[in-house]
Amino acid sequence: MKKLVALMLAFALCMSMAAISASAEETFKITIFVDGTIPDQNNGRDQFEARWEELHPGFDLEIIQPDHSAYYDVMQQRMSNKADWPDVLILSSTYYVDYASNGALWDMTEAWENSQTKNSGRFNGDSVFEGLKLDGRLYGFAPTRGNGCVTYVKKAWMDACGITEAPTTYDAYIAMLKAFVEKYGTYAVAAAGFVGNEAPFINYLPEFYQDAYPFFIQQEDGTWVDGFTLDSMKAALQRLQDAVKDGLIDKETLTNKTSDARNKFYDDKFGVFTYWAGTWATNLKTNLEANGRDGELIALKPLEGLPKYYDRVPPVWCITSTCKDPQKVFDAFIDTMLDGGDTQMLFTYGPENIYWSTAAGTVLDQTYEEGQFHMLENLEKAGALYTKYHIDPMLALASFADGYYDPREESVRPEAKAAAELFNENSRLAGLVPGTPELSELNGELTTLKGEIIADIALGNISVEEGYARFESDGGLENSNIIVESLNALN
Amino acid sequence: MTSVASSRAVRAKKKPLLQRMGKYWGFYLMFIPVLVFVAVFHYAPMFGIRYAFYSWKVIGDPKWVGLANFEKLFKQSQFSVAFTNTIVFSVVKLLLNTGLAVVISLFLNEMVSLKFKKLSQTVIYLPHFMSWVVTASVFSLLLSPSDSGLVNQVLLKLGVIKESVYYLADKNHWRTWYYIINIWRETGWQTIIFMATLTGIDPGIYEAAAIDGAGRWKKMWYVTLPALGNTIITVLILNLAKIMNLFESVFVLQNDSVKRATNVLQTYVYYQTFNAGASADYGYTTAVGLFRSLVGLALMLICNFASKKVRGRGIV
Repeated sequence: MKKLVALMLAFALCMSMAAISASAEETFKITIFVDGTIPDQNNGRDQFEARWEELHPGFDLEIIQPDHSAYYDVMQQRMSNKADWPDVLILSSTYYVDYASNGALWDMTEAWENSQTKNSGRFNGDSVFEGLKLDGRLYGFAPTRGNGCVTYVKKAWMDACGITEAPTTYDAYIAMLKAFVEKYGTYAVAAAGFVGNEAPFINYLPEFYQDAYPFFIQQEDGTWVDGFTLDSMKAALQRLQDAVKDGLIDKETLTNKTSDARNKFYDDKFGVFTYWAGTWATNLKTNLEANGRDGELIALKPLEGLPKYYDRVPPVWCITSTCKDPQKVFDAFIDTMLDGGDTQMLFTYGPENIYWSTAAGTVLDQTYEEGQFHMLENLEKAGALYTKYHIDPMLALASFADGYYDPREESVRPEAKAAAELFNENSRLAGLVPGTPELSELNGELTTLKGEIIADIALGNISVEEGYARFESDGGLENSNIIVESLNALN
Repeated sequence: MTSVASSRAVRAKKKPLLQRMGKYWGFYLMFIPVLVFVAVFHYAPMFGIRYAFYSWKVIGDPKWVGLANFEKLFKQSQFSVAFTNTIVFSVVKLLLNTGLAVVISLFLNEMVSLKFKKLSQTVIYLPHFMSWVVTASVFSLLLSPSDSGLVNQVLLKLGVIKESVYYLADKNHWRTWYYIINIWRETGWQTIIFMATLTGIDPGIYEAAAIDGAGRWKKMWYVTLPALGNTIITVLILNLAKIMNLFESVFVLQNDSVKRATNVLQTYVYYQTFNAGASADYGYTTAVGLFRSLVGLALMLICNFASKKVRGRGIV
C-alpha cells in the first residue's frame, strides 16, 4: 500500500512538473527597459504589470526600471553588452538616431504600416511618425506628441494696460511688451537661458528667434546646413539684443534656471512666459492663484508670418535587434498601446483603484457618485490627484475607439485642454539630426562657443558682427563646416 | 657568532604566513568587507582605462585607435584652457583658503570668551554643510544685477559702482567671485585642523614667553605661528594632491557667457559628453579622464617626495 501511495505521489509530482514546464513554455516573456515616464513601484507599477498581463494572456512582462535621473547612464552600461539588451526600451531622440544608425534597433517600418493602430482610423500622428523616420525607415513608436511650449500672457496685465486683443503680429507683440514695461517698471519676458541646451533649443523665446535655429537643419533640397550661420540667426540675435537693451527681456535670463523663471512669473515680476503646453497651463494658473495673483492666462497663437511652435521629438518605444521575435513583441506590446480600448486606458489612466475609480466616494473633499469616473489621490504626494499614467491624454496620437468611454473630459482641466489644443494645431516637429563621428567629436566645443556668442550678443557685450567674427576666429565656422560636410556625405 | 646563531634560531621559530594569519583570523574577517569594497569600487573600474585607446560609442564594438585620442586631446583648444584653469583655480583656491584658515584660527585662538568662540566656530563651519547647488543659488541671488541683488545694492549705496554689475556673467568678475564663494564655504571648515593643533600647544610655553615679557602679538608671532608651521605644510601638501578633482563648484556657477573661459577638465568632459548632439565618443572622454588621473598621480608623487623632505615621512 505504501509503495502504491509513493508511486502515485511520484506520478503526481511528475505530472505537475510537466504541467508547470508546459505553461512556462507557453508564456512569452517581454523584457522592457523604462524610465520614470512609467510610474515606479510606489505608484502602482506592479498593478499596471498585472493588469497588462491580464489583458494579454500568454505574455509575461518584465519591467526593468532604473532611477529616472540615471536612466541613460544605466541604459548605456546595459547596452554595452549585447547579452543584456532588453526586448523593448524607451529612447530619447539623440539615442534613437544613434542606436538606429548602428543597427541596434529593429526596423519596424513594415510592421507599423500593417499595424492595427495605423489602420484604425483613430490615429492622428502621421506627421510625427514621418519625422521619426530615418532614411524612410521607422525604428521607434511614439504613443504621444513630444509636446512643446506656447506663449502665455497674463490677462490682468493686459487689462491694466488697456490691451483688449491678444497680439497677432510681432509689432503688436513688442508694443504689448513695452506697455507692460512702462506700466510695471519691470521686464516683460523671462526665460531659462537665451538658448536651450537640447533640441529644439529656441522654444523658450520663439517670438524673438522666429525662423532662426542654432543647430543643424536639413533644407528642402535635402542638403544640411548649420542654422547658426544663416542670416535668419543673425537677425534673431539682433532682435534679442534690442529686446534686452530696451528692458523687455530679463537680462538674468542667462543665469535663470527653469524654476527661477517660473518663480519670477508667480511673483508677478513679468507678464509673458513661454512654457510647456497642456498640464503646465493648469500648474501656472494654480501657482499664480496660490501666490494671490490673478491666474487667468491667454495662450498666444504663433504670430502672423512666424513659423509654428516647435514640437519636441517625442521619446520612442523601440525594439532591439537582439529581440528573438520582434514581430510578436510589436503586435502584443507596441501595437496595443493605442488600441482604443483597455490597454490604451491602462497606459493613459493607469490601473483602476490606484489611479482612478468609478466607485462612490470622496477624494480631496470632492464627492463622487457611483459610476462617476474620477482620478484618485497621489500615493506619494498627499493633497494632489493623479493626472495620467504614461500617456498624456492631451498628447495621445490616437483617440479611443467609438463606444469606448474616454474620461478625458472629467480628468483634464479646461485651461490645460485649451493650451494643448492650441499647441497641437499650431506646432511643427523639430527635425532629427543623424549622428556622425564628426558631430560627436566637434559639436561639444561648437555648442559651447555658440552659447557664449549668443549670450554675449544678447547682453550687448558684443555686436552681432563681432560675435560672428569670434565664431570664425575661434574655429567655430571650421568645425561647423566639417560637421555639415559629414551630414551631407550621408545623402 | 653567538648573536648570529641566536638570530637564526629566532628566525627559524617564525610561523608560516597562513598560520600567523590564522591566529588573527578575526581581524582578517573584519577586513574582508573593506577589501571587497576597495576591489569592487576602486580597482575593478580601472579596467575601463583601456577605452582611452579605443573609439567607442557603446553600441558596436570598440575600435582600436592607439594614441589618437590623446593626439586629438592636445589639438582641442578648449582642452588646454580647461587644463590651465584646473591648475590655476585649484592652486589659488588652496593658497587663499589655507592662508585665511590660519588667520581665522589665530583670531579664534585669541578669543577670551569661550561662548563667543564656540559661536564663531559654529557660524564659520556651517557653510561647509551646504550643498554646492544651494550655495550657487544663494550667491546667484546675492549677486543678482536686479534690485534684489544685495551686493549690487550695497555697492551702489556706498557709491563704489555707478550701475549694477552682472558679476556671474562677466569673465573677470566670475573668477573673483568664484574664489570668494570658495573661501566663504570652505575656509571655516579648514580651521578645524589648525584649531586642533593650537589646542595642543603646551601652555607652559606661553607662560615662559609671558615671563620673558612677550605680549599677545609677540606670543602669537613667536610661539603660535611656529607651532602651526608643520601643520600648514601638511595641509598644503595633502590638498595639493587632490587639486585635479574640481567639478561641482565650477559647474554650478557656470553659464553660457563664461563657460568657455572657466571650464576645468571635468566640466570639459561633461560638455563633451552631453553637448555632443549625438552619443559621445567614450574613448575620447576616457582619454581626458586618464590624462587627468596621470597628472594627479604625478602631483601626488611630488607631494609625497616633498612631504618626506619636510616632515620626514611620506603621505602614502
